[in-house]
Amino acid sequence: MKECNKQIEQICDYVDGELDSSLCRELEAHLKDCKNCRIMVDSLRQTVILCREGKPERLPGELESRLNSALKRRWKKKFGKK
Amino acid sequence: MNENQLVKLAQAGDFDAFNLLIVGHKDKIYRLAMKLTGNREDAEDIVQETFLKAIDNIDKFRRESSFGTWLYAIALNNIKAQAGDRKKMTLKPIEEYLPGGHEAGAAELFDWGDPHKLFEQKQLQKLIESSLAKLPHKYSVPFILRYIEEMSIDEVAAAIKLSVAATKSRIMRARLALREMLSEVFKERANERVQ
Repeated sequence: MKECNKQIEQICDYVDGELDSSLCRELEAHLKDCKNCRIMVDSLRQTVILCREGKPERLPGELESRLNSALKRRWKKKFGKK
Repeated sequence: MNENQLVKLAQAGDFDAFNLLIVGHKDKIYRLAMKLTGNREDAEDIVQETFLKAIDNIDKFRRESSFGTWLYAIALNNIKAQAGDRKKMTLKPIEEYLPGGHEAGAAELFDWGDPHKLFEQKQLQKLIESSLAKLPHKYSVPFILRYIEEMSIDEVAAAIKLSVAATKSRIMRARLALREMLSEVFKERANERVQ
């Protein structure tokens, strides 16, 4: 248990590809023997992948037009010109 | 023309320069507001308020951070003021999200396999949205900025005005909490299919 607790920060860095190479080797050795940590690595990786899936939302066209008009008015008020 | 030059022009009253500064951030701030508020009307108000406040305060921008980071900080203040953190879950300490490892009697974690075999894409997206919406903003905001908007840890830390270490810790807790929420749903679904 203690060994796994110590590894959680490393697991997150490992999943993001940010773990120092010597620690990477240590962690990979641990992963060979620890099924729960292997599942943790896989599911943490998939958590981010799933969050990134789907179409990226874009500002709706009608809002962009309204926004641009509001910004122009505010700019004119502040600077007295467009 | 670089960002600094555009900022100088905008601060001198050049509206076109201001538009060039914000053009790449409109969709990003809308996405962030949608994810955090979960509704379009609130997200629209937040986008509009953010850019209007940017105009009001442009002369106070001192270039201590990037213009984008400054805009995010304004947007986050607006989100906090408008949406608040009502009805959010309380996150557990990190140790309680841990697998248990080799400990005698430790429960084996549920192996996700491919979640796309359990749910259709649309269902998965709804599940992700509802899970993210349950997190308190102080956790979901850095998670979204880091992994969905793909900002660096330093940029996220600057936007939420926290140290890099504290920012990393919040992102990790958000990720562990999301993982656990998703895992429970996937496990339940897999069990239903077996029965």
